[in-house]
Amino acid sequence: MLAAIPSASVLGIDGHVVMVEVHVSHGLPAYGIVGLPDAVGRESKERVRAAILSSGLEWPLQRITVNLAPAILRKAGAGLEAAIACGVLLASSQLPGGALDHTAVLGELGLDGRLHHVPGTLVLVDALARIGVRRIVVPTDSAREAALVSGVEVLPAGSLAEIHACVKGEFPWSDVPPPDDEPWTPTDVDDGPDLEEVRGLTSARRALAACVAGGHHLLFVGPPGVGKTMLARRLPSILTPLSNDDAFDVTRVHSAAGLAPAGALITAPPFRAPHHGASGPALIGGGSHGRIRLGEITLAHRGYLFLDELGEFNASVLDAMRQPLEDGHVCVARAGLSVELPADFVLVACCNPCPCGLGEGSCRCSDVQRARYRRRLSAPLLDRFDLRVCVGGPEREDGPGESSAVVREHIERAQLQQQARLDGTPWRRNADVPPRQLPRYAPLSDDAATLLRDIAEFRALSARGVGRMWRVARTLADLDGDEAITDVHVNEASVLREEIL
Amino acid sequence: MNTPSPRPAPLPLPFPLPLPAAPAPARSVGACDAEIAAAVLATLPAASRTHLLALWRSFDNDPVAALAAVHAGEAGEHWLGPRAQWSDRIAPERVAAIMTRRGTRVLLPHDPDWPIPADCPDPPAILFAEGDAFEALLRPAVSIVGTRAASPHGLSDARELGAHVAAAGYTVVSGLAIGIDGAAHRGAIAGGGCTVGVVATGLDITYPRRHTDLFAQVRAHGVVIGESPFGTPPEQWRFPQRNRIIAALGEACVVVEAKATGGALSTAGHAMRIGRALLAVPGSRRNPAATGANELIRDGALPLLEPRDLFVALGLRAEGARFSTAKSVPLSVAATTVRGAFGGDAATIDQLVSRTGLALSELSAALRELERVGFVTRAGGRVWPQ
Repeated sequence: MLAAIPSASVLGIDGHVVMVEVHVSHGLPAYGIVGLPDAVGRESKERVRAAILSSGLEWPLQRITVNLAPAILRKAGAGLEAAIACGVLLASSQLPGGALDHTAVLGELGLDGRLHHVPGTLVLVDALARIGVRRIVVPTDSAREAALVSGVEVLPAGSLAEIHACVKGEFPWSDVPPPDDEPWTPTDVDDGPDLEEVRGLTSARRALAACVAGGHHLLFVGPPGVGKTMLARRLPSILTPLSNDDAFDVTRVHSAAGLAPAGALITAPPFRAPHHGASGPALIGGGSHGRIRLGEITLAHRGYLFLDELGEFNASVLDAMRQPLEDGHVCVARAGLSVELPADFVLVACCNPCPCGLGEGSCRCSDVQRARYRRRLSAPLLDRFDLRVCVGGPEREDGPGESSAVVREHIERAQLQQQARLDGTPWRRNADVPPRQLPRYAPLSDDAATLLRDIAEFRALSARGVGRMWRVARTLADLDGDEAITDVHVNEASVLREEIL
Repeated sequence: MNTPSPRPAPLPLPFPLPLPAAPAPARSVGACDAEIAAAVLATLPAASRTHLLALWRSFDNDPVAALAAVHAGEAGEHWLGPRAQWSDRIAPERVAAIMTRRGTRVLLPHDPDWPIPADCPDPPAILFAEGDAFEALLRPAVSIVGTRAASPHGLSDARELGAHVAAAGYTVVSGLAIGIDGAAHRGAIAGGGCTVGVVATGLDITYPRRHTDLFAQVRAHGVVIGESPFGTPPEQWRFPQRNRIIAALGEACVVVEAKATGGALSTAGHAMRIGRALLAVPGSRRNPAATGANELIRDGALPLLEPRDLFVALGLRAEGARFSTAKSVPLSVAATTVRGAFGGDAATIDQLVSRTGLALSELSAALRELERVGFVTRAGGRVWPQ
């Protein structure tokens, strides 16, 4: 007898539909699995057999062949086991033929027959829904996540025995558990440190607000202990919630990486802060045939990537980030496959002016040390930062600054204004607007235009440099709630992009 | 410390000096055998300073005879064996070819135009010199040295001092290093004078490479000299050796900015040992680049507050020689406020905002105004008052 049940497996951040075909025939009892399963897939035999026996069902003493189609795609993980078990039951007539038509099955089996959560349920269900599957059996633990996809009927099951009973109609399918009231966020914003605790640092705070409001990449430079990291660590406290589409994208990525909590949409932008020892594949993404590991830049998709001690990162790793910074996605190519991963993030970085950290005039580093340090931060990488601010520590008379709540209000207002302006364009934020479109989407007042030309001439700025300053001025105007960019904003923008290093 | 030097008395001000036409380093292999022979001997692995000096003595200051003797193995035990082995690299024809191509001159202690004064306790045995203005070595000179990790203030002081010294008809001697040295050379050239760069490598090697253009300028407005033969790479121990030549060439030695340890202090030590006037530009105790100079002043060096302090130490009248002060330019109210907020030290944008209470945009405009008239410069992310 032959049974075929649709299921899916994750590659990169996408689900790929896998047709699980089970053939049970006369012959010596044997079990073979073909169709490029990974090591986990090959081990599934023992789990499937034990789970079927533990559920009080029968393991057919016949020749069993399992095929995972399409044969060319390497399948990862244990999420296909429930589908294999159901296939065995169907093919050995323990389930009525046709009972699972148009139904997909996802789930990993325990030896006791229980169904365990499958990482990436969201993308798997999404992929199955796209090819027209209307009913999907998922582990109870994954049900809420699966239910985020509209247009499919989610059938939660706690164990193989439950699937068996429900399919035979002996028992009704249970309901999807209601979603949590508390939406999950990647960082606990309310208990996090507040911007109020940072004294002084006017321009650095302004840059931080502009970074969040307009999506500009931000670099803080300064000696150790002046508050660069302190400021950057407070970035989560001024983040605004993601739009619905963005939240779905972020949840997909986190689901595929196995990092999403069961059953809730991630509504806060991700904030990733990898240590400077991070390798290329850890930051950019990598892995081998069949198992693509998402890099930090993909996990920071639609959010923020914070690199403390930028100068300590491996130079080649940093330069590998240049292309994703420009394109918003990264293509991980390996022998036999290439996967495009989303990587639309805002880069926030801190670094010291030199290895000893003290900078111009007080530095104790040798020429060679300094040259080596600077070489790591290539000019093209530094050029990507719209905002470059030197932080020098607070003055004695500085009082507490605005609280995170106030700054967040300004940012929300700026984002609304920005969205209204960019509605119907391919760009989401001021930082995305290409230089040629700036006159249309960020018109300057006469004063501002004269001033910008004047500054460009005085500082001998490149056309690209002018464009970056212009975009920042637009965001600063948005933060102030101004429709027009005035000379005030251009003036501010000019000190928020220092020539450093 | 201010021992009178055996130099001819400097000319009275005002300047510039009428100078003899530059003696062109015209040379041919035949006419300059002594120079080539000395260069070849200096290139031998066995050639240390003391052994070369001994060789000059034994052969009555005749390098040609010395070379013939060394070649024949008759110049004593030291010049035998593997250390004296001849290779293609030190074939006389080859050395002669390099010298002709580069226009290198070799100066020897018995030459009439040997620039090192007789009071120098450990003079070099040979000096290689290249440049278009050999009169730089004939003029009275002042050494200006300092740290490589100089602050913008130090660089600007060194430049101005170099220009004043050059305008007074003195040659500026320094080490062609990054930082203060380079600024002093540039100042001398800008001041229309001559300058001498003393290097620790062979003259065919440019170190630091970043100063390739400065090497060319110094060659055009003076000479580059060194005691090491062609092909000598930069080696750490050679730099303190080189410093004694810098100290010996100047009538006075000025340290503009020096860290607590470093080459500038070694030059100052040499200058003190041979009784040159030693001056140091004081700095804030909070500026690590000024620590060495401040310590020199504590230990007896003369503080140099204005260039005229140097001329007084040299026994000249030079009341007018002062560092440039800010011209009086009409400034906006905001710019005046910002100028008053530095306290003589560099500051970040945020510090200036806190001190002046100006809005960021007002500060930005004020800084640009100050920058245009040269009252502030921006470097390393900070604003430096001038």
